[in-house]
Formats: sequence, structure tokens, C-alpha cells
Amino acid sequence: MKKIEAVIQPHKLEDVKEALKNIGIDGMTVSEVRGHGRQKGHKEIYRGMEYQVDLLPKIKIELVIAEARAEEAIRTILASARTGKIGDGKIFVFDVAEAIRIRNEDRGEAAL
Amino acid sequence: MKPEAVLVPPAPESVRSTLAARTAAVEAILRRRWPKLRGAALAAVGGFGRAELFPHSDIDLLLIAASDEEISRLKEPWSEFLQSLWDLGLRPSYAVHTAAECAADHDGNLELTISLLDRRFLLGDPAVFAALDHRFEAFLAKRRAAIARRLIETTESRHAKFQNTIYHLEPDLKNTPGALRDLQTVCWLNRLHPQDQAPRLAAPFEMLASLRASLHEMAGRDRNILHFEAQEALRSNPAALMRDYYRQARIVERALARAIEAVPPKETALLGRFYEWRSRLSTAEYTVQRDRVWMRNPAAGDFGVFEFVARHRLRLASATIERLAGAAPDARWEDWKRLLSLPHPAAGLRAMQQAGILAPLIPEWRFIDCLVVRDFYHRYTVDEHSIVAIASLESIADRRFAALFSEIPDPHRLRFALLLHDIGKGSGHDHVEASRRIAREILLRLGAPDEDRSTIEFLIAHHLDLSAVMTSRDLRDLATARAVAARVQTIERLKQLTLLTYADISAVNPEAMTPWRLEQLWQVYVLTSAELTSQLYSDRIHAAEADPALASFLEGLPVRYLRTHTHPEIQAHFDLARQLESRPAAIEIAQHEEIYRLTLLARDQPGLFASVSGAIAAFGLNIVRAEAFSNARGIVVDVFTFSDPHRALELNPSESDRLRRTVRRVVEGKETVERLLLGRPKPLRSGRLKPSVNLNDAASERATLIEIAAEDRPGLLYDLARALSAAGCNIEVVLIDTEAHRAHDVFYVTRDGRKLDPATAASIRQCLLEAAL
Repeated sequence: MKKIEAVIQPHKLEDVKEALKNIGIDGMTVSEVRGHGRQKGHKEIYRGMEYQVDLLPKIKIELVIAEARAEEAIRTILASARTGKIGDGKIFVFDVAEAIRIRNEDRGEAAL
Repeated sequence: MKPEAVLVPPAPESVRSTLAARTAAVEAILRRRWPKLRGAALAAVGGFGRAELFPHSDIDLLLIAASDEEISRLKEPWSEFLQSLWDLGLRPSYAVHTAAECAADHDGNLELTISLLDRRFLLGDPAVFAALDHRFEAFLAKRRAAIARRLIETTESRHAKFQNTIYHLEPDLKNTPGALRDLQTVCWLNRLHPQDQAPRLAAPFEMLASLRASLHEMAGRDRNILHFEAQEALRSNPAALMRDYYRQARIVERALARAIEAVPPKETALLGRFYEWRSRLSTAEYTVQRDRVWMRNPAAGDFGVFEFVARHRLRLASATIERLAGAAPDARWEDWKRLLSLPHPAAGLRAMQQAGILAPLIPEWRFIDCLVVRDFYHRYTVDEHSIVAIASLESIADRRFAALFSEIPDPHRLRFALLLHDIGKGSGHDHVEASRRIAREILLRLGAPDEDRSTIEFLIAHHLDLSAVMTSRDLRDLATARAVAARVQTIERLKQLTLLTYADISAVNPEAMTPWRLEQLWQVYVLTSAELTSQLYSDRIHAAEADPALASFLEGLPVRYLRTHTHPEIQAHFDLARQLESRPAAIEIAQHEEIYRLTLLARDQPGLFASVSGAIAAFGLNIVRAEAFSNARGIVVDVFTFSDPHRALELNPSESDRLRRTVRRVVEGKETVERLLLGRPKPLRSGRLKPSVNLNDAASERATLIEIAAEDRPGLLYDLARALSAAGCNIEVVLIDTEAHRAHDVFYVTRDGRKLDPATAASIRQCLLEAAL
């Protein structure tokens, strides 16, 4: 099992969700996060004064998926979240040791 | 001890008898298990003491020992007794005390004292209970005021946890304001400080208690939150159930307010002085005591009392609410405008809501009165959400949004739009359009002028637009800002819509306005504002007016001119422009409260704007805003708004004329600013703000935009404008704004009819930085 964490542009959330749904992936956790990578915020001029905007609003999507489907999911996210501009975000992939459904204690991929 | 004895007797088959039956059943069990011991007694307290035992609720017991020594002797048999109750599946919640302990103050344990108010002898030695009874009553007689005040404090802090509102979509039947704990508090306070009229709470008790009993039965434990699922399970029409619920909760809320007013205020010196200070707000018509308003000359249909409340953020005394109840004053648009322009309109609206006159005033309010619209986010009913939204603008924590709000000249429009933005929610159709339509009817009926009505309709019709942009558009894409700009058209509307969105999101629930959303909303505002600024300045009017003379006047003025001036203002400028046929300059000075406005129309000439701003500064006047526009025929429209810090114009009526003459002479070239400024001391600089100058070549097609932010001082505008003129620049458009000590000046300049070349730009930047110091 793999855990995929993708930090994307907020306005791309609907596209990514839709694309994942089209390949049969419905379950995910979505959170509103703020941060920066190489984009490192930017200067903004408002009313003649410069303001440093350090932390940019982003969306984080987390999903855990069977290993066999991980690559497909990653490619789907890449295709649907890309605008080609700086600030498009990143995808991180982790190995997952175990998944347990709390209700009935299903384990492994059955719990996904 | 039955405080509810003061209430009207319950109807047979009521929930009260069901609870009493359960109480009796538990008592029978206790009787069988109670160890017969010397010097010990068992009392029921709390809900059990009141014979109101809910299914799966704790059984509140007080184990009384005659003395401390007895306690050690009784320890073992008592724990066996309690253990046996646990084994039976009961949930005893017990305390062990002597009579002396019960009759003493316990800091931080008000519950013991309060639970003893409902004590009832059950088993054991009657003499032990009688001793407690006697000592506790004596204690109570001495300390009743202090206990009542602490009870009020804990009640208020509990209410704060629920944002002080009864209108929760999923209320906690025990702890939410207006629910059972409040109902009990009324009984307790009434016992400590009896009122002339006993509170009548049988109907609310019946409703709240039977809901709670069913909830406990359904859950199989003491769960008090009336979830959406439970509402559905209990009634086929959950919306109707909840309307009934809020109606009963309102009765409890009012009874509680009355009971609290009956408690005398604390007499500590400091607090006493504070109350006295607030009571100085009292007028010939209204008495203020402890932030509550009484009417001296009770007259139903008084709108003024709500203005009074909204001016000073007060509350209505319950006697006032009763007097006003249901009698709608005759309020026209002017009355609403006054109320909504005051510092705390939410307090005024809440008072109207409590007195039940919002619906008589605006009949459509009934559509959303106590209306539950379920979704994952909203925590309050629609009417409450609307008032909370207005309140959220009164205490904006974020500096940027607070500054934005302070720039809104007529907040009454924004506030009225918030009041009605969801009024169409009960209609079953698209609520945005329904709200706009209903608001339009209301505004027409109230007689609101077109300007107010069109802004309010616009705000309601677009109240979800910015939220949608925040989450579903690429904010960095220029097309996004352009699309929003095209929709809002003016900066003034953009500001109001941004604040409306801020308030709407903040009022969904206390956590809804996350830093994430705040940042997104701010981005939408800043990017659109930048887009609007550049667009409105550089786009020129190509007028198609019916009047050819007016069309020729408007031809070539920036679009911004049309967007920021009303028709009467434009007409006035046009009339001034006609005077130019016979003289070189037309000048008008108008006073609006403490602010003056000088409007100048003249043929453009080099340095004109700088000279006039210098002339105004030479009179010791402080320019807070200025605009300069020119049309295709080379006529400039300069508008200077200034304050009169030394009251020169106010105290010397002839000074206005002298200013007018001086400006005319400057325009005609008969007077120089240098001579006027001669001998005027240069003001001291605090230098708190380092000046910044930004040049932007991309903002406009034909001019360079220069934005300057600097510490404001008299003569600043003159110095900046002169620096630009000296460098051979022509000032095409100007917008000067002052915000506290900060001046924000935007100039659109050209040189020889073109944008500045990079070398000139760099040298001008340096000149301006020096001039701004």
C-alpha cells in the first residue's frame, strides 16, 4: 500500500477530485493548508506599500491506495493539477505498513 | 425543597409525571439498599432532588454525616451501598458531606451550593437532615446575593461557550442558552431573589424535557445534543420541531433575563463606579442601569430606543421588551439608515429581534425567522446568521480588513445587504436571486433612494461570487481579476463585497474564517483592486450622451471619473465647465461637516495641479484626498478634499473667499506658490514611515503609474506634484488618499505624451523619494 500526499493549487481541487473519481478513486482526505516551497511567497503591492506574503494557501490531498494502482493515481493527479506555472505543488509517496478499518478491524487492502 | 412549586401545576400525563414516576422507582430501590446507620442521612439533590430523573441520567445523591468523625465510621457501609447501586446498572453521582461543610462557601464549587437548593430528604436519620436544612438556610440567608451573582457569572461563561445565542441548529438540550440549565437557573435565582411575578415556564419545560427524555431513550445514554438525525427521528417535520424549540427557548431566555435583573448588582467600588459611569448614558427618555435600557415614557412604536441601544451597545431590560413586544414602530428608510449607520447596529437589531418587532417591521423577515437550513457548515438559524454577520463587522480582528471597513463611507448599505442577504432562503428556489428580489420589494416599500437600493441589490445578487472565486479560480491568472473587476465595476463596490463576504463566512460558525480563507479572500480583493485601478484610470470615456455639450465635456475623461461620481456631481462639474467660456478658472468650495471640498475646472497648463495643492497647503489646510482628471479638450477637473486643522475657514468666514481668490490668481499665473509658502514653517517630521515609490509601466497603455506611500504632512502633495512637474512630467490622473498618518498617492504621468523611459523613471523615483521625506 502507498500513501500519496499531494499539495496542489486550491482551484485545482475540483479537477483533481473529478479525475480521481473517473479512475475509480473516491476516498481521500482534503485539508486547507498554508505553506511555501521554492515559490517562497511573493511581494505584493497594496496601496503603495509592499507586503511580503510568506505562506500561500494550498490544498493538501491525502489518499492511501493499493500499490498496484499508485502509479495510475499519481499520473492522474499530475495531469489534472498541472498548470505549468510555479506554485503547482508537489506529490509525496510513502510506504504504508498497515491499514485497519476501525469498525470491523479489516486489515490491509481490504480496509482501504 | 421544590422550587418548581412556584410554577403552574403540570398537566396530567406530562413529561413531569413520567420523570416523577422514574424518580419514585429509583427511590424504592434506594430504600431497599440503604444501610440503617446512626448519624447518617441520604438526600436527593440536583435533578433527582427535583424529582426530574431522566432516563440514563446520573442519580445525584448527598450522603450526610453528622460530623467528620462519623464519616470514617460510615465510609465502608456507604461504599458497599454505592457499589450495589452500580451493580444494578444505576449511575449514582454522589458527594459525602457534613452539615457544616454544606453551609459554607466553596470557591470553585458553586455546584454543591446550587445542588443543595434542590435537596430533598430520602432516608436515614431525619435529625441529621434537619440540622443540615437549618444550617444551610441560615447560610443562604446571609450569602444569597453573592451566590446569585456567582450563578450569573457561571451562566454567562456557559453562554459564551455557545456564542451567546439560542439559535443553534443542533442545540445541546441541557447547556445551550435557552435550554434546561437556563430554565433551572431561573428557578434557582427566583428562589434566591424572588420576583414579584413567578416565572411561567411549564410549556418550555414540557417541550425541552420531553425532547431530552426521548433523546436519552433513543441513545441509551445521557446524550443531550439534538442532532439532525435525532430531529428527523423525533418528528416528521424537523423544521417545524425546531421552530417550536426556538420559540420555547426564547421564553426561557426572557425569563432568565428577568431573573438576572432581579439580582442586585455587586457593590465593589470599582464595579460600582463602572456601572455608574455607564448609567450616565441615561437621558430624559431612557434610563440605563447595568447596560440595560428602561424607558421613562413608555410608548409602544418607539424606534428611537433601538437607535439608543445601537449607539451605546446596550441591551433592553425585560420590562422594556415586554412593553415594546409586537408593536411595530413606523420605520422608513431614513430610520433604518440612521440605525445602521451607528457603531453597534447588531445590538439594535438583536433588541428588535427580542422585542419581536423585526417581523412586523419587515414582514418578509418571517421567511427566515428561526429558519433551519441544514448543511455541514452553518451553525445558526438563518435570521441569527444574518445578525451575527453584521456583528462580525463590528470587531474585525484582521488589520487589513479592519482598515478596509474604515474606508467605507456609508456602511448602512453593506449592513442592510447583510441583514437581507439570505432572506430568500425559505423560498425553495435559488436563494440568491430570491433574496435580491425580496430585498428590492422591501427597499421600494421603505422608500430607499435608487443609489442605496442599487448597491444593496448588487451586493445581495453577488454575495456568493467572491467565495466561489476564492476556491475555484486561479487567483494568479489575470483573467480571474479581470472577470471579477468586470462584475463589480467600482472599487467602492469591491470593498463592500469583500467585507460582505468576510462577514458572511465569519457568521457561519466561529471557526469558519480560517487564516486560509482570510488569505484567499484578501488575495481576491488585492488582485481585483489592482486590476480595477489600472483599468479605470487608463480606459477613457467615449461618451454617447444625448446632450452634445455634455458629451463633449465627458469625451476623454477616464472611466473612473464616471464610476466615482454621481450624476448630480457630474452635472455640477459640467455647469462649472461652462463658466470657462468667460473666465480661465471655475472654482467651487463646499463644506460637508468637518471636511471641505474644492472643485476646480480650468484649461490644463504645466504645473497646475502642483500649484493648486500648494495654494491650499499655504492656507494651513490638510489635503486628505485629491483627484485630477482631464478630458479630450484639455479641461481638467481637480477635486481636493481637505480638513481644516486650525479651524481657519470655520472661524473666519472671509477666509473661504480669500482661498477662492488665491486659487484663481494661482491659476491665472498672478500669484506663485513659492511666495505663498514663504515664511510658513516646514513641519517637523516624525519619520515613522519610510517613503516608498513604485513605478509601474504595465498598468496603463499610455501612462506610467507611480504609487507613493509616505508619512502624511501638510504640503506633501505640493512637494510631490512639484517634483513631477519639475521633471517635465504631465500629470494625467491623480488619486490621493490619506489613512491616519499615511498618505497613498497614485499619479498617472506622461512625458511628451508618452510613458517614461527607464532613465527618466529612475531619476524621478529618486526625486520623489526626496520630496516625500
